Amino acid sequence: MSTPVNDTPPQSAAGAGTPMVKAEAVHKSYGTVPVLKGIDLRVDPGQVVVLVGPSGSGKSTFLRCINHLEKINAGRLWVDGELVGYRQKGDRLYELKDREVAQKRRDIGMVFQHFNLFPHMTALENIVEAPVQVKGESKAAARERARALLDRVGLADKAGSYPSQLSGGQQQRVAIARALAMEPKLMLFDEPTSALDPELVGEVLDVMRGLAEEGMTMIVVTHEMGFAREVGDALVFMDGGVVVEAGHPREVLANPQHERTKLFLSKVL
Amino acid sequence: MAVAVLAAMLIHAIVTNPAIQWDVIRTYLFDSSITHGLVVTLELTALAMLIGVSGGTLLAIMRLSPNPVLSSTAWFYIWVFRGTPVLVQLLFWNFLGALWAKLSIGVPFGGYLGLSDGGAFWSQDTNKLIPLFVAALLGLGLNEAAYMAEIVRGGIQSVAVGQTEAAHALGMSQSATMRRIILPQAMRVIIPPTGNETISMLKTTSLVSAISLEELLRAGQNIYSRTFQTIPLLIVVSIWYLLMTSILTVVQYYIERHYARGANRVLPPTPLQRLRGLLGRRPKPANGESDVVPGLEGGGHL
Repeated sequence: MSTPVNDTPPQSAAGAGTPMVKAEAVHKSYGTVPVLKGIDLRVDPGQVVVLVGPSGSGKSTFLRCINHLEKINAGRLWVDGELVGYRQKGDRLYELKDREVAQKRRDIGMVFQHFNLFPHMTALENIVEAPVQVKGESKAAARERARALLDRVGLADKAGSYPSQLSGGQQQRVAIARALAMEPKLMLFDEPTSALDPELVGEVLDVMRGLAEEGMTMIVVTHEMGFAREVGDALVFMDGGVVVEAGHPREVLANPQHERTKLFLSKVL
Repeated sequence: MAVAVLAAMLIHAIVTNPAIQWDVIRTYLFDSSITHGLVVTLELTALAMLIGVSGGTLLAIMRLSPNPVLSSTAWFYIWVFRGTPVLVQLLFWNFLGALWAKLSIGVPFGGYLGLSDGGAFWSQDTNKLIPLFVAALLGLGLNEAAYMAEIVRGGIQSVAVGQTEAAHALGMSQSATMRRIILPQAMRVIIPPTGNETISMLKTTSLVSAISLEELLRAGQNIYSRTFQTIPLLIVVSIWYLLMTSILTVVQYYIERHYARGANRVLPPTPLQRLRGLLGRRPKPANGESDVVPGLEGGGHL
């Protein structure tokens, strides 16, 4: 990117053509250890972008920056035309208050590697919690929608079960339903199948494939290359905190251009 | 067998010792000053624990706050109140009037600014403002808050970080996350030591007799200082303490069971269910949560 970052008005491209996610030279370090060294990325509405790379490449960290679970140290990150975690006045950035950050996270669903369901609540209560607490939805309405969501992920009969009574695959499907209950415009998946037994991976990928077909914008960190090839609109290969290569999944997987991509793919395919 | 013989000898020695004066115990067990003392003890326990638990939760949240002023204030409070004996603190609250005869609300440092009455809008005699009961309550409650703070902090820190992240990712605020997600899970870790603290508090209230507030022990002391029936009255007092701590133990058991939801796949049977199991009548599973009949052999452990 040669354009000076400050020249970009924050809400420049509102309306048609606003990217769902736009990253410009995003840097992030933990103390003195740099994790992201300038990530540029654009995700358009309705796109499914798959992030792959070796562990420690920064792909999960980048995903967590998008909903401000991690603060970026430099660069700019927009979701649906709005800066993530900051407000820009002139050429200065002001950090948003916790309340404002929470407000923006409503529209971004996230699914975690270890599900992170609330163990003291049933599947239904897990899904009802945020719409009632955050959006002030009525309990009756939220319950009705929660039942519909459970039905959609194939768990209509598990409404009253606690997470400890569910298999990993079932827990992850409840977690997806929980995120969808907030009616997000963007879904982030952080290695959603990595903690699952192999025979349970399929049921979660099926739900994700269904979401993609309905037009949900998704960013997925995964090692499931089959999913990337069939469902992904773009594949981004990251290593050492930078984007090494990006393109259509079938092309990148079949014909990787960079040595590091070739080396990585030879190990996972 | 040998134990049974020894126990029988001990019971015999107690029952037949005339110095115990069972008739005196019977007379005073429901004496009005004893039951009044009992009520004061229960009130002190309940209110001191209320101050302790709410103050402790506040201190724990402050202690874990990223704000250095909040966390160091909490640290200092806990350092002082855990580091000095509760009896000393009780005496302090009782004799606060000797330190500051009047407590006022007004212009800070108004006295130095030459204002009349030191700039006070409102002023009250310390001993009137802090009667005996309030001094006792402050002494016990504020001390307890320091201990509860550490218990609550341990509970909060036992909840996985992923829980906070999941709640934040759903757009929940800091306070909603604490209230709805973290604290309910921390309860499982917080409740057992809190039950112990409550039982311990019930007994610690007897220290208040040192500032002559007439709670259970003091009520007994007042009687035996007149009648010299020391041992019988100490037994009367002990019977009441023992009864109250036993009731609290049962209450604690059921509260712990309530907060075990979601942690155990099958809740362990209650003592009542066990008893029924022993008697051969197998109870129905509680509200359909389990298909396993909770009998004696059913996965529970105490």
